[in-house]
Amino acid sequence: MSGHPTEIKLHQQSRLLEITFDDDVCYQLPYEFLRVYSPSAEVRGHGHGQGVLQLGKKNVGVLEVLPVGSYAMKIVFDDGHDSGLYTWEYLYNLGKHQAELWQEYLDELAAAGGSREPGSAPEPKKGGCGSGGCSH
Amino acid sequence: MSFSEADVQGALKNLIDPNTKKDFVSGKSVKNIKIDGNGVSLDIVLGYPAKSVWGETRAMVEAHLKAALPGSSVSVNVTSKVVQHAVQHGAKLVDGVKNIIAVASGKGGVGKSTTAVNIALALAAEGARVGMLDADIYGPSQPTMLGISGQPDTVGDNFMEPMTNHGLQAMSIGFLIGSDDTPMIWRGPMVVQALNQLLRQTRWDDLDYLVVDLPPGTGDIQLSLAQQVPVTGAVIVTTPQDIALMDARKGLKMFEKVGVKIVGIVENMSTHICSKCGHEEHIFGSGGGEKMCADYNTELLGSLPLDIRIREQTDSGKPTVVADPDGQVAKVYKQIARRIAVKVAQMAQDRSAVFPKVVVQNT
Repeated sequence: MSGHPTEIKLHQQSRLLEITFDDDVCYQLPYEFLRVYSPSAEVRGHGHGQGVLQLGKKNVGVLEVLPVGSYAMKIVFDDGHDSGLYTWEYLYNLGKHQAELWQEYLDELAAAGGSREPGSAPEPKKGGCGSGGCSH
Repeated sequence: MSFSEADVQGALKNLIDPNTKKDFVSGKSVKNIKIDGNGVSLDIVLGYPAKSVWGETRAMVEAHLKAALPGSSVSVNVTSKVVQHAVQHGAKLVDGVKNIIAVASGKGGVGKSTTAVNIALALAAEGARVGMLDADIYGPSQPTMLGISGQPDTVGDNFMEPMTNHGLQAMSIGFLIGSDDTPMIWRGPMVVQALNQLLRQTRWDDLDYLVVDLPPGTGDIQLSLAQQVPVTGAVIVTTPQDIALMDARKGLKMFEKVGVKIVGIVENMSTHICSKCGHEEHIFGSGGGEKMCADYNTELLGSLPLDIRIREQTDSGKPTVVADPDGQVAKVYKQIARRIAVKVAQMAQDRSAVFPKVVVQNT
């Protein structure tokens, strides 16, 4: 397992989660980035290619972060999404590959014709578990 | 001739605690040094329960100090104080519990519950306050093994008093259901809820250790426990058989994935001792536990024989550590318990695994 975090700062105005690991690496992860890359099955789906592209999360806020054992945290977003368990390893990788992952998201967004702006477009129908969405 | 506190500290720096393999000063065990002329008095506070070796430790420290400080008269007082698992300030550990030790295996039938109850009793025999949480909702064994029947008293609307026997506090779904043959026909979410209630709605009374007897596997119960409470460490029980080791490896990996530290491995049913002729045989193969420990860089805490008396004593509600406290098998359980306690004391103080500080800023 890669590092263990020593401090987490929620910058509520700039919507940034700043996470410092015990190897002194520090990442600033935008809430939107964390939200669209939530590891929850609601976002990732249950198998490869079943992910649901997240739209309109530009202004998403974080209400709180809660400990999950000693290996992860749960982020409670203000759009009601709270089922993602972000392991330290997952957060470390999000930080490490932030630029590529963000570009990947923007590309997918462009390909699907979606927008980051809230309330701008209905969610395109895609994958998930059946048509009714999944809230496992 | 008189001595300074530094002389005493210096002398104790060269004395190794045979249990922790650390000297008493860096182990932070030396307290309350008082010097009065030639008289030196101090307290040794061990971080693990060790009633049976307080006398030995005291004699050892006194002899060492007398030799190092010629002409001194030394008086040492030895006690134990189990350290609490470090948690983030304000974080929720279970009320009344200092450390949680999970006893797990991948495979069923390897003797988890038997091992768990004997370890718990061995810790209690060394003077610790110990609780036993039977987390096996589908097949609770602890009521039988601890010889406890009846229902727990309720306290107010939301709490239960733990049941007690052999000096242990215990809680099990087995205390709450009608009869021995009532099955719990429940899906995962119900089981998880039941576990949470047994854990949090029992009024554990000032426990040094809560030993959690987990069911076999890597499913709902194991995951929930790891997610909802800071487990200090996990002990993996296996037999030397390949098929058991295979599952034990998965159990161990699961705990690693969810950030629970592995205290070590107990190899059960290592050998069979024939009750007629006394011949000892490796019926499940030999060296399996040792190999697994080497592969995963963890400690073999001890090996137990497949001995009919362990089964008989445990089935009759008086596990070996209380039925035959001075016997060979009890000695092995006590040694395992000592090793666990020493390691747990080190893990408990390790703040690196504590949940990070969360700061909310209006920036």
